[in-house]
Amino acid sequence: MKRYIYTVLVLCRTLSIRFVRDKVALFFTMLFPLLFLLVFGALNQRAGGAHFDVAIINHSDTAFAKQFVASTKNNKVLKVYNNITSIDQAKERMGRGDLDSILELPKEFGQTNDTGVPTGQVVVYYEESNPQTGQTLAGIIKQSLESTNYKLTGNVDPLTVQQKSTKTAHLTSFDYVFASVLGFTTVSLGIFGMANGFPVEKRTGRLRRLRATPLKASQLVLATALEYLLIGLASTTLMFVVARLVFHFNMRGDYLSFIVFMIFGILLMFGFGLAIGGWAKNENQSAPLANLVALPMMGVFFLRFLMPDWLDKITGYLPVVPLVNGVRAITTEGKTLFQLGSELLIMGVWTIVIYVIAIKFFRWE
Amino acid sequence: MATPILKVKGLRKSYGGQEAVKGISFEVAKGEVFGIVGPNGAGKTTTLEMIEALRPIDDGSVLLNGINVQQDPARVKQVVGIQLQSSSFYDRLKLTEQLRLFAGIYNVSIDPMALLQEVELTDKASSFVENLSGGQQQRFSIAAALVNSPLILFLDEPTTGLDPQARRHLWALVQHIKKKGITVILTTHYMEEAELLCDRVAVMDNGTIIALDTPKNLVKSLLKRGFTKAQHVEQANLEDVFIDLTGKELREA
Repeated sequence: MKRYIYTVLVLCRTLSIRFVRDKVALFFTMLFPLLFLLVFGALNQRAGGAHFDVAIINHSDTAFAKQFVASTKNNKVLKVYNNITSIDQAKERMGRGDLDSILELPKEFGQTNDTGVPTGQVVVYYEESNPQTGQTLAGIIKQSLESTNYKLTGNVDPLTVQQKSTKTAHLTSFDYVFASVLGFTTVSLGIFGMANGFPVEKRTGRLRRLRATPLKASQLVLATALEYLLIGLASTTLMFVVARLVFHFNMRGDYLSFIVFMIFGILLMFGFGLAIGGWAKNENQSAPLANLVALPMMGVFFLRFLMPDWLDKITGYLPVVPLVNGVRAITTEGKTLFQLGSELLIMGVWTIVIYVIAIKFFRWE
Repeated sequence: MATPILKVKGLRKSYGGQEAVKGISFEVAKGEVFGIVGPNGAGKTTTLEMIEALRPIDDGSVLLNGINVQQDPARVKQVVGIQLQSSSFYDRLKLTEQLRLFAGIYNVSIDPMALLQEVELTDKASSFVENLSGGQQQRFSIAAALVNSPLILFLDEPTTGLDPQARRHLWALVQHIKKKGITVILTTHYMEEAELLCDRVAVMDNGTIIALDTPKNLVKSLLKRGFTKAQHVEQANLEDVFIDLTGKELREA
């Protein structure tokens, strides 16, 4: 047993040395996830101080309309594009995604009625695919209209609504996104890294050479798992540090739970890559299979909120969902491992299943 | 014959109904250099791989130093050194790191530099294997096969693809290994190589051994059957010219 483990450790050390010398692999496992983190972080910072890109097309020359247009410039939520003046031009820009919305003031906007109160209706255009923008903007405009109305007439609506963002417990949207980014990179490192690694070593005859020694398949698998665990933890640490330094990530939970949970997650995802790479004879077999397995898991991040209830429930059993939920519960809610029973259960079942498959279908050549 | 270290009896292997090895038997003595020659597809590599416990044996038995290969493949691998035809080593590893890895697998402690000395690669100790020349790679693969101080060293076409200088160099290495008392079993396509290195040669064709004897006796029996070669006594051949012109010195990047 001691000899068995010694061999595993020697092999793991050797594989790690090889890995560190592989510049391309280093880029894709260390730097690439970091770029990914930076992009997602930047996107979500923008959402944190959310604003809407809008064009205002004013057909009216009433004082109320002018006052309203002027007030939008002070509105931090709205970024007004002054250089867009016609509705066609605005629609075209919106089609290209430059604008979130168009506000159109009709000709009669702001004309006073019999009682001396200005009337009119602002038309808020929004993309059909993005109704939330329309609703949110309508609310903001309503508020803005009311305050303009108050300035001009001194009339106050008796019932008003105040809008406030829900920065619960000072958590930013980045704090929520970080768990997804970690899950995403764990999937890609574990599945793609390994699914490509073994077939190359089979094709080049490296595993064949090892097979001519007393090395057991289980030792090779363990050593490689250990190597990927080290790589995964290094990558996680790097992302964590950047998240803290650049995006002021709030860590709510304890580090021990976080690390243990991540170890579990990395080993689980590695199991999928191992099963694919261990079975495949070459890259032609492993690449499509890896995509087949990884893409649904990755898609879950982005599309789950669009799914109908039943599909949402099913995808909850994909191994990546409890992984991301667990990380999020630890980092944003401060939960410990003992409070993550259902996540650990789903992941545990997957781990057993995938490693049994991996060892059963492993091929040396 | 001295005590046999390897006893092969009725060894058989077929692939998809096609019999590649058709029940061959032979014995190899301790300390002997035993050659297997034959055209491509004769079953040489398949035979070696069955003996090395790399390929399941369909029928027959192999006793290697008293170990039954079929029943105890792990123990066989512990006592043999194998240089394979189509295999390679991990890239981005120094030769010393490679050898330490193998030592770790066999659970033995070694002096990597001493092993590299044996194959004259000490000056390449810190090179990666992918940056070695063909001859150096073959020598390194022999060094790797010697890590566990094997009882039997298997060399599958060790000189294929090497230039005449590197080939001669490898011959010297094989003779050096033989002197240390290690049994060597090798395959080759070069008859001069078999004649020079091997104590006995088995000629294989179509999955059977059609002749097995010392090179000298094989030649003798051919002559006895009345074989004659057009005699023009040449004092030298083109290979002699080549070596004379280019020297015996190894050419390695």
